[in-house]
Amino acid sequence: MMQVNAAVKKKRKIKDACLNAITYLSSGLGAFILIAIFVFIFSKGFSSLGFDLLKGNYWSNNYLVSVEESYNQAGNYQAPADLNEGAAFSSKWGIAFVDAQDQNKDNVILIEYVDEASPFARLLDDSIKDKQVTLSAESGFQVERISYQDENGITYTAGNIMSQNAKELCEALDQADVIEQAYFKTPGGGIRGSILSTLYLILVSLLIALPLGIAAAIYLHEYAKQNKVTALIRSAIDMLTGVPSIIFGLMGVTVLFPVTQLFGATTTNILLGAFTMAVILLPTIIRSTEEALIVVPKSMRDASLSLGANQSQTIFKVVLPCAIPGILTGVMLSIGRVIGESAALIYTMGTYVNDAPHLLSQGTSLAVHIYNIMSSEQPNFELASAISIVILIFVLILNITVKLLSKKLNKAWY
Amino acid sequence: MKSFVRDVISTEKNEKKLRKDKRMRACFFTAALLSSSAIAVIVIFISMKGITPFLQEGVDFFSFLFGTTWRKDQGIYGVGFIIVNTLVSSFGALLLSFPLSVLTALFITKIAPKKLSAMMTTVIELLASIPSVVYGVFASGTITLLVSTLAAQFGLVTAGGSSLLAVILLLAIMIFPTITSLSITAIRAVDKDVELGSLALGATRTQTNFKVVLTSAKSGIFAGAILGLGRAFGEATAVAMVAGNKMFGPTFNLFDTTRTLTTTMLSGLKETTGLDYDIRFSAGLVLMAVILLSNLILNLVKKKVGNMK
Repeated sequence: MMQVNAAVKKKRKIKDACLNAITYLSSGLGAFILIAIFVFIFSKGFSSLGFDLLKGNYWSNNYLVSVEESYNQAGNYQAPADLNEGAAFSSKWGIAFVDAQDQNKDNVILIEYVDEASPFARLLDDSIKDKQVTLSAESGFQVERISYQDENGITYTAGNIMSQNAKELCEALDQADVIEQAYFKTPGGGIRGSILSTLYLILVSLLIALPLGIAAAIYLHEYAKQNKVTALIRSAIDMLTGVPSIIFGLMGVTVLFPVTQLFGATTTNILLGAFTMAVILLPTIIRSTEEALIVVPKSMRDASLSLGANQSQTIFKVVLPCAIPGILTGVMLSIGRVIGESAALIYTMGTYVNDAPHLLSQGTSLAVHIYNIMSSEQPNFELASAISIVILIFVLILNITVKLLSKKLNKAWY
Repeated sequence: MKSFVRDVISTEKNEKKLRKDKRMRACFFTAALLSSSAIAVIVIFISMKGITPFLQEGVDFFSFLFGTTWRKDQGIYGVGFIIVNTLVSSFGALLLSFPLSVLTALFITKIAPKKLSAMMTTVIELLASIPSVVYGVFASGTITLLVSTLAAQFGLVTAGGSSLLAVILLLAIMIFPTITSLSITAIRAVDKDVELGSLALGATRTQTNFKVVLTSAKSGIFAGAILGLGRAFGEATAVAMVAGNKMFGPTFNLFDTTRTLTTTMLSGLKETTGLDYDIRFSAGLVLMAVILLSNLILNLVKKKVGNMK
């Protein structure tokens, strides 16, 4: 009898251990996926990340230029003392070049330094026919092509298209007598425009959704009686959370687009995106505000009312100040939502990456910028991952803030 | 909210104050009404715009609903196979993700040591907060690679890994945190006495966890599954990156490209007028109908499951 019992016990133990092992495995899988995502995104995108990415334009500018006639001659220039070690300086033309790699990991030659008196500081834009537009080569320009004439009047071409590096380009220029034409490019692939649009989006959508959401939450929690109308309002707001974001996008272009037309919009625009986001954010803000209001003890409201304050005074001066941490949590969650949202914004803001966005122009938020990159023929994974890192860092900071805030909320003084 | 003081405030002495109060109340009420009317506005306007292709532009409703080709270059719009594809990919993802989520939730609430449990909670929260485009980038960089190597094992060729299997895997990952966090809430809500009763009867802790706790929490876990399914139906940008947008269907082969309702609505957003634009609203209407119907059916099932004790 004892032996049978032991055998049963052993069998049971093995079974239990197996069952426990599956739960360990499945949660291990969850953790593995998270780590895999982070490793993938960071390993792909980290090398592209940098200040140039954050503040650069997405589209590159092309300059087809020639030197002003009267200045087009060689001189003798001194390299500045603080010039980079790896830079090649042409003392004849007063310009220095460095080797670099662009977003696509191709070798390029960048201008490192231009002397103020150098011919390259006095350029004419050839792409504009009638007007004389002068500009100067600046450090950071990509040198695609420089064509020059040597002493015998024979034209040569130098630069990136001849697959030269900075030093070779410098040596070639030392042979030159006259510079004929140069083709410069500014490096593209930056996300300054998208960051700006995202900020606009966050600001405007919160400006609309916050007052509306807080007021609605105050009504639902402080005024509303428990009746059918209140229940209907509540369930309608709850239903908004279940609507997929792409449907909000459709709503934006049909219902809200005429509203932005009143402001003078002709295409889909950032303002429309912000309006749409405001609707998406409403349930989040209402819920977190209401949760904060619930925590405020009733005795405080009663005390305020008995001291002679009326209901609205009580709400604005007693209840809301106590609820601020909860409302801030809602704000953080909303910002996270705006940063991550893509489907609704593709409909309402378009997918054209705009370097100089304003409220009534098209533009892309960071997330839509990623979608734009990924839906092209040859997706640039490095750039997409770099932007993803920016988004992830934002989202992580917001999450940590929410956690700290909710701790603060739990430790409230009342 | 019930107040002890508000009812006994003298209405005569405080007339002015109370009048001001009434105005504020009206303001707040308007805000609440505006917020709640958004859902009605969405349904009404998308329905209106969604049925115009059938009323004005002569698209046959039945060939739209049951059609098996979607070629906008030829003007053939059939959404039938897309509905089937959407259902297949979403339920496939649910099938994959549901057991894993429930087991993880059980691990976090009952089995894991305290520190590990806190760590896993953070993992789930982080997974939930990653935006869908980032999932999309991840999926088109790794999952597609995985799928195409897997297909090569069977001697099949995929369209660069864009396939039904990739969509299912991606969606399974994306709905995993949703189902898990709702399951955690459901399991935490299980009455402690039920557990203790089971332990007192001689069941081991593990037996209690799997047979008693999970059974008592099944209604809440089911609600999580429904929510996860809703997310899978509505997911757009990430799926669009790995789906491949097949023009006819339905797709049941795991390694073949597919097309869901949301990717259809996202693809080629060039025009802003005309039939090709309006038909997206019809697709949106179908998407809403699919979500609503599946929610209704699953809620019925949930009631049935919940009643079986």
